[in-house]
Amino acid sequence: MHTSATNEAAAIEMRAVSKRYANGTLANDGVSLRIARGEIHAIVGENGAGKSTVMKMLYGLEQPSAGEIFVNGVPVHFADPREAIAAGIGLVPQHLELVGSFTVAENVVLGCEPMRGLLVDRRRAETEVAAVSQRFGLGVDPRAVVRELSVGEQQRVEILKTLYRGARIVLLDEPSAVLTPHETGALFMALRRLVSAGCTVVLITHKLSEVRDVSDRFTVMRAGKVTGEWVSLSVRDADFAEVITGRPVPSLRVTRRVRQVFGQEIEQNKVPLVAVRRLALQGHDGRAQLEALSFDIAAGEILGVAGVEGNGQAPLAEVLGGLRGPSEGSATLDGEVFTGRGVRAVRARRVASIPADRLHDGVAAGMTITENVIAVDYHRPPLSRRGWLDVRAAREATRRLLADYGVVARSADEPIASLSGGNMQKVVLAREVASRPRLLIASQPTRGVDVAAAQFLRQRLVDLRDSGAAVLLISSDLDEILALSDRIAVMYRGRIVAHFPADTDAGELGLYMTGLRGDAATAATLDAPLTQVSTQASEQAGKKEMV
Amino acid sequence: MSAAILDTPLATPRAAPVRLHTAFAVIAALAVGFAITALVSDAPVRAFLALITGALPDIRWSDAQGFEVRRLVRFGSVVEDAITLTFLGLAIAIPFRARQFSLGADGQMFLAALASAGVSLYMPGPWFVVLPLAFTAAIATGFVWGLVPGLLKARYSANEIVTTLMLNVIAIQFYRLLISEHLRDPNAGFLVTPVFPSAALLPGLMPHTNVSAMLFVVPFVVAAGWAFLMRTTLGYEIRTVGQAAPFARQVGMPVTRAVVLSMAVGGAFAALAGVHIGNALLKRLPVDLSPGLGFEGLVVALLARNDPKAVPLAAFLYAYLRTGAQAMERTTDVSREVVLVIQAFIILFVVSQRLLPAGWPRALLRRRGNTALKLEQA
Repeated sequence: MHTSATNEAAAIEMRAVSKRYANGTLANDGVSLRIARGEIHAIVGENGAGKSTVMKMLYGLEQPSAGEIFVNGVPVHFADPREAIAAGIGLVPQHLELVGSFTVAENVVLGCEPMRGLLVDRRRAETEVAAVSQRFGLGVDPRAVVRELSVGEQQRVEILKTLYRGARIVLLDEPSAVLTPHETGALFMALRRLVSAGCTVVLITHKLSEVRDVSDRFTVMRAGKVTGEWVSLSVRDADFAEVITGRPVPSLRVTRRVRQVFGQEIEQNKVPLVAVRRLALQGHDGRAQLEALSFDIAAGEILGVAGVEGNGQAPLAEVLGGLRGPSEGSATLDGEVFTGRGVRAVRARRVASIPADRLHDGVAAGMTITENVIAVDYHRPPLSRRGWLDVRAAREATRRLLADYGVVARSADEPIASLSGGNMQKVVLAREVASRPRLLIASQPTRGVDVAAAQFLRQRLVDLRDSGAAVLLISSDLDEILALSDRIAVMYRGRIVAHFPADTDAGELGLYMTGLRGDAATAATLDAPLTQVSTQASEQAGKKEMV
Repeated sequence: MSAAILDTPLATPRAAPVRLHTAFAVIAALAVGFAITALVSDAPVRAFLALITGALPDIRWSDAQGFEVRRLVRFGSVVEDAITLTFLGLAIAIPFRARQFSLGADGQMFLAALASAGVSLYMPGPWFVVLPLAFTAAIATGFVWGLVPGLLKARYSANEIVTTLMLNVIAIQFYRLLISEHLRDPNAGFLVTPVFPSAALLPGLMPHTNVSAMLFVVPFVVAAGWAFLMRTTLGYEIRTVGQAAPFARQVGMPVTRAVVLSMAVGGAFAALAGVHIGNALLKRLPVDLSPGLGFEGLVVALLARNDPKAVPLAAFLYAYLRTGAQAMERTTDVSREVVLVIQAFIILFVVSQRLLPAGWPRALLRRRGNTALKLEQA
C-alpha cells in the first residue's frame, strides 16, 4: 500500500504550480508535490499556507496561473469541477452539502439519477448505491433518511457521492472538524478501506493527530510553498508541530487547581462565581433547546463544555451572553442574576463572550480593525464623550492591543477582513479581555486558527483564568477541552449528561457526546458528584489530579 | 471554517478601485448614450456636445466688450438642483448606511417645506430670527416624519420601503390640502402660497438665477453628515448595524435605536431640501410641487455609494446631466427622453458591481499580477 517513490505514474502530480488571485495574493508559489496511487496523503499547514488553493485547483474550482498538474500521468487543465469529476477526482467538502429530507440514495444520485423514462429509477439508484457502498466498505444504508444520520455517517454519504460519480481520487477538506473521536476513528477506518479498494485519498488538515494516525505520507506547506514531504511513521510525535509550523511551538502552561483532594483549595473553589440554575430555553418552533441546565464556575476556573455541535452549546452561549432570555431558570454572577436583560446589561456586569462564528458575529468584516476593536466599549469614556467618538483614543487603544497580542497588520485602518483567521481571532479575544471580564464565554475560540495562534489564544485564556476570571469554554475540539478545562461538562440534546474532572479519557467523553451513555439529570455544580468513569484506568486518573 | 475550500476570498473594497469603477461606469454610460444619440439624431456629435457642454456658462471674448459670460441661467439651475439633490442624497445615504431602504425623503421634504413656509409667512421679525426658526421648524418636522417609519419598523416590524412610500402619500396630500385650503394666496390666479417676506428668503448670489446663500451652507451640511456617520457614537452604531447586524447585537449595541434614528436623521437632511425649495428657489410654495425628487436623491446616494463626501459631487453630476439634457432638447433634434435613458444607464452600470465594468480594473490588476509572477520565475 505504501508506495513512496515508484516509477509508475503518480495519482496526482503538481509541478511548479503557482496561483495568484485576482487581488494579487500569491496563494501558491511554485508548488510541486506528488501523491502516489493508493496512498493516504495529507497536506498539512497553517491557515493561509495555501493548502486550500491546492485543493481548489485539483478540483477545478481555480485554475493555476503557472505550472502543470498531472493526473495519472496525464496533464490536465480543469476549467470547472465537472472536468475534475470526469477525470476521477471527487471532493468531500468540510461543510456537508446534503439534502436532509432525502434518503442516502437520493442524495448520492442527485444530479446524475438513473432514469426510467421521465422518472427517477429509485430502485436502481438504491441497488447501485448499495453496491458502491459495499465495494468500498462504507457501510451506509441507502434507504436511510439523511437527516436522521449522525454527522459521521453523513460524511460517509458525501464520500459515497464522490465514489458513485466515479472518483478514484478522493479529496477531503478538514474532514474531522465536525466529528467526535469515535466518528473520526470510524472515518479513518473507512479511508483505509477506500485505499485497499484501490482509491487514493488526499486529506487537508491542520490537526497533527490526523496526520500521524491515518496518512502514509504528508506534504507540509507554509506561506504558499511546499516545505517538505515526510513519511508519517518517521516523524516523532514531539516533532510534528515544529515540522509543520517551521518553528518551535511553545507548550501550553496550564496549572490546574486541585478540586477535591487537598484541604485549602477546596474552600477556595467551593464558592461559585457563576451559578447557572435549571436554565431552559425554548426555540421559536417550541422545541426545547436547553433543558434544566445547572452548573457552576468558580473564580479562576475553566469549565469546558464538550459536545457534538448543535447539542445546545450555541443557545447556551446566547442566553449567557444576553442575546436571548431564558424560558426558565437563571444565571447569577456573584449572586446577581444577569440573564434575560439584554447584552448591554450582561456586559455591564463584566460578562464577555467570544462568539463561535467569527466572521458573522465576532467581527464586522467590512469595517476597520479599529472599528472592530472599540465595538464593546465605544459608548463610554475614554472612547466616547458626549456622543462623539474620540478617534485618537480609539487608535491608541487599538495600537496598544495589536502590539500586546502580536497582531500583524499593515495598519489599524485596514479592513479587519484583511487579517488572517488567527490574527482576527486575536483581535476578538483582545477586545473581550480588554473589558476585564469576570466571566468569559469562549465559543470555539481557536476554530480555523493556525497552530501557533491557537496556542497563543489558549495561553491567554489560561492567563485570564489565573487572574481570577471564570471561563466557560465551549469547543468541539476535544483536545482543546482536555488541555484547558478544570472540569468538563458534556452536553447532549440540550442537557448536561456528564460531569468529569480535568483529565478524562477522550474516548470516555465521546461515549457521552454521542448519547451512547449519559444521565440527563447531571448537574455540573461545584458540589455535584462526578460521573463515574467506566474504565479502571480513567477512574484512577480522576482521583489523581495534577498540580 | 477558514480552510473550507469552497469559501471565496472576502472582498475588501478599497476606495481607489471603487472610484475607478464609478468613473468607468459613468464613461461607459456616456458611450452607450452616444450610441443611442447616433441612432436618433442627424447630427449626433453636435447633439452629444450639447448634452455635455450645454450646462456650462458660455464665456466669450470679443474686442468690443471684453469677457462676456452668457447662459448663466443654465449653470445656475445646475447649482440649484445640485444643492437640493445633495440634501436629498444625504437623506437617503444615512439610513442606507444602517441598511434601511428608506424612500421617505419626498414626504419629509414636503412637510418640512410646509413647516418652513408656516414660519416664513406668519413669523414677523428680522431675517436672523425668521430664518433660523424656519430651518429649525423644518428640520424638526423632517426628523419626526422620519422617525415614524423607524418606529413602525421597530415596534411592528413594518417594512420600511412600504411604510415610507405610504407616508409619502399622506405627507404630499396633507401638503396639498394645507396649501389649497389654508395657506393659499387669494390674489394669485392659481393655488400657491403668498410670496415669502424677504426676511425669510435666502439671499441670492448669482443674478438671473436662484442660486442663494444656501450654497455656503452645503459644505457644512455635508461635513455634518460625514461627521455624524464617522465621528459620533450614534453614527458608528448605524454603520456597524448596517455592516454586520449580528455582530452589533453580539457586542450589545442598541440595534433598534440605531435603525430608528438613522431614518429620523435622514429626515432632517431631507428637510433642508424643503427649505431650499421654498425659501430660495421658488420663494413661495405651489400646490403642484412635483413629487419624485426623493427618488433622484436615491440615485445620487447610489452614485455616491452612500459616502457623504461624495454626495455633492454625485449631485452635481446628476444636475449637470439634467440641465445638459434640457439644452440638448432645446437646441438639437434629440429629445430629452434620450438623456433620461442615459441617466438610467449610468445607474445600471454603477449598481452592476459585478458585471462587466468590475472586471475591467480587475483584469488590469490580474495582468499586472501575471507579469510580476513571470518576473519572479525568470
